[in-house]
Amino acid sequence: MFSLNEELRGEIKHINDTLLNKYREVLSMDKKLLRKFINNYIGKIKKLEKMTTRELKKYVELGGILGVDGSKNRLGGAYPHFIEIYQGLARSTLHKDKPVFKTKIYTPLQLEESSNMLEDSREEKMRSDKNLADIEVEAALEGIRSFNPYAVIMDGSIIRYDIASKEKWMELKSECEERGIILVGVTKDIKTCIIGQKLKEEKIISIGHKFHDRELLYGTLDYGEAIFIDIETKKELAGIESTFLRSSLSPTVIAVDILESQKAHLEEMVRLIFTLTPKNGRGVPLWIDIVDSEVKIPDNMIRSLLESYLDRRLLEMLFISERDKRTI
Amino acid sequence: MKVVGITSQQEVYVATKDRNFRINEFLIIEDSYQGDLIGEVVEANAYNKYIPMNLHGELADSAVLESLRAIGYDIEEDTIYIAKVRLLNEALYPVEAGSDVRIPAFHEVRDLMVRCSPEEGLVLGVIRNTDHMAETMDEEYKNLLYTFEDGRLERQKEIPYIFNIKTMHQYPHIGIFGGSGSGKSFGLRVILEELMNLNIPTVVLDPHYEMDFSQTADYLPGEERLDYAGKFKCLQVGTHVGVKFEDLSVQDLKNLLDASGALTDAMNNVVDILYKKRDSYTSFFNRLKMLAEAQEEGSVDKIRRRIEESKTDLERQGWQERLELYLNYDKSCPYSSVRGIIWRLNRLSNEGIFSKDIREIENGLHNGKLIVVQGSTRILQVFSTYLINNLYHKRREYKDAQYRNEASDYFPPFVVVTDEAHNFAPKAFECPSKAILKEISQEGRKYGVFLILATQRPTLLDETITAQLNTKFIFRTVRSSDIATIKEETDITMEEARRLPYLRTGDVFISESALGRTIFARIRAAHTSSPHTENPFDELKGKFEENENKFMDLIRDKLPINGDDFLNVIREIEKEAGITYTLDTFEEKLEDMVEKGFLIKKKTPFFNVYDEK
Repeated sequence: MFSLNEELRGEIKHINDTLLNKYREVLSMDKKLLRKFINNYIGKIKKLEKMTTRELKKYVELGGILGVDGSKNRLGGAYPHFIEIYQGLARSTLHKDKPVFKTKIYTPLQLEESSNMLEDSREEKMRSDKNLADIEVEAALEGIRSFNPYAVIMDGSIIRYDIASKEKWMELKSECEERGIILVGVTKDIKTCIIGQKLKEEKIISIGHKFHDRELLYGTLDYGEAIFIDIETKKELAGIESTFLRSSLSPTVIAVDILESQKAHLEEMVRLIFTLTPKNGRGVPLWIDIVDSEVKIPDNMIRSLLESYLDRRLLEMLFISERDKRTI
Repeated sequence: MKVVGITSQQEVYVATKDRNFRINEFLIIEDSYQGDLIGEVVEANAYNKYIPMNLHGELADSAVLESLRAIGYDIEEDTIYIAKVRLLNEALYPVEAGSDVRIPAFHEVRDLMVRCSPEEGLVLGVIRNTDHMAETMDEEYKNLLYTFEDGRLERQKEIPYIFNIKTMHQYPHIGIFGGSGSGKSFGLRVILEELMNLNIPTVVLDPHYEMDFSQTADYLPGEERLDYAGKFKCLQVGTHVGVKFEDLSVQDLKNLLDASGALTDAMNNVVDILYKKRDSYTSFFNRLKMLAEAQEEGSVDKIRRRIEESKTDLERQGWQERLELYLNYDKSCPYSSVRGIIWRLNRLSNEGIFSKDIREIENGLHNGKLIVVQGSTRILQVFSTYLINNLYHKRREYKDAQYRNEASDYFPPFVVVTDEAHNFAPKAFECPSKAILKEISQEGRKYGVFLILATQRPTLLDETITAQLNTKFIFRTVRSSDIATIKEETDITMEEARRLPYLRTGDVFISESALGRTIFARIRAAHTSSPHTENPFDELKGKFEENENKFMDLIRDKLPINGDDFLNVIREIEKEAGITYTLDTFEEKLEDMVEKGFLIKKKTPFFNVYDEK
């Protein structure tokens, strides 16, 4: 057996105590009280019904639903010796055999100027986010141009595109608005603090910290319930309306974003997403999961691709980190 | 369809999204370097990555799948079909991954599938899963037969399986294995029908009395029925055929007696001593009887006294002979053993074995007929020893004489067929018929004598013989020891062996040495039906109904019958039909009819009245 490091054990216990201490308020919060607060100060909690087959069939005539997702693979070690491969996919429920793939490869070594080493990870992260957002938006653009769908469901919050890929995002947004194509984003890991912020401001329930929505909403909503947010949020400033939805029996909630100009379709889209989510699943619409699994490239496939098409010497010299060669 | 994954020279995986694979289907792989390669599907799978078999992962529920379908996406269309394909001939290099795969046309596989014309071979059934190729098949192979599919008669849709009987010259003997109800006897019947079609002289040993071909199957359309009446003959041992005593060797005789009742060493000895060459049944039997009578007298003196007291010359002569026998044999032949032999000989004689000969069988073979020899297993064991020995040596003598350029009577080549072969050539112990079957299995090929042996217990069949069966029909087999034997003795693969317990009745793996591989086939519908096909429970029901109707016919014109009038009615019936009932059984019968609803019973203060309903 491994001998357990006593110090490590202590540290973990300590973390547990700290977290317990911090979240005591959340954990002991009265569910009814919190729901009442949400109803009064955030937006109405509404119980949704699943769509009927007849309602769904309508979408076939209207052009189907386009699912968009992206993936990123990274091979290699520390900056600048790595290579990143981005792939974006837009897939229509109607044209299943015509997926729109977009790919992009990036390595810092490609760039002319020798950037200074401390031109740091933050910038790299931004570049990476931008690449991914770009590729997804490109896929979505080509998708709407070739399939003319009724709605586009993007994987992740659409504010991400606004931040990371401003230009292309604006192009997509205006094209969607012009052509009346509904654009929504589905976020699995919500990172907002809308409710926590409000709680703190209103001081209705005395809490010391600013809690994330994910923490507060854990188990608060019942299956099929959604919160249509009324108040001004950061997202709203960027022209995006959003909703929280408990889409499966799992207690976590997801967020659904929509362009403010298309706010009228919000409830319809939330219901559509609710309908497409397996009851016993993680809360993600199956269509997004399918697109997601299709766009992902297994690491070993990337590796064998690079091994086949890159000069072997270059590959070893630049992209194979010592860590990759470790066998024990 | 494309080759995917890691390939080898023998096996590849083929995947497609368009169609499901079937096991034993043939595919052509278009390898860009090695040209077209033919392979057979040995394993077929279907897989949908969105519907995983994962106990912990989320399972897309049917409501969501239904919703997705409603908005235009059918998840089932994302199913991937994967087949493991084994190449018929090993390739020189591993198959190129990514090669295209297609379904072959008939002409590309003709040499693999059919090896002779329907007129020259045995048309036994269809090769399973070949319907795609059958579309481009030559006319001569079409519409040859019918098969039963799920109890319905269907026209031939697949490539016919035609057994090339000429290959038996190099690859002799056929084995038919399968558990009860697997279609084994049925398969045997079809093989025999085909042998009759080709007029091949055949001897069938039939312990079950089931190889009767006089009943034409009524399920076939009228114009396609075949009549075998003139092509076969059922002969029963003792009634139609028997042993010519004069032709018996000592060993034959001992075998026969042994079949009648086990022989002790002493009895064997008695036969050896007392049987003389060219003995007739009577001369041998008399010798035994006189010795026994002499022994019953007990001593030389007593027999001498008998001679002296004899009133006629004949009697004296008789006792004189007895005395001689007594003097010669009393010491070496104990009385009890002599009696034992007499008893056994009597029993055989009573069964009629010695009163007939095998000429009718020989004549039948000369005329290219199928001769069915029927009898109990015990009698057949012995009779077949004598019969097959006799026939085999006649054929052998002819061939040997021909070789030596001497004149000799013609005797045709022939086939020996038996069901329950493990009774005739068992593995563990000696049995009279085993020696001759073994001899034929090893050298019958040279003389044109072939075996077709069917058994449900291949494990119990003599191994030397099993090893000589060059073609094997393997029906459903459940016993693991038999599956193990089959695996050892044939070239069927692991995958095929695993399927053995689940084969449908009439489906069969045919392992042919001449072909060097195993074919998955289905036996055709027979032209004739077995006399044993009536369900015994239907038979019971039918019998009861028949009895009821008969009784109703008897009493119909006498209804209503009054309870005090039974005696008169019974008397009338006796007069008219000659059937006598007692009062009790008659009343019982009437009650029975009431219970079954044919009659009604009305109660009156004095007696019951039985009347028609």
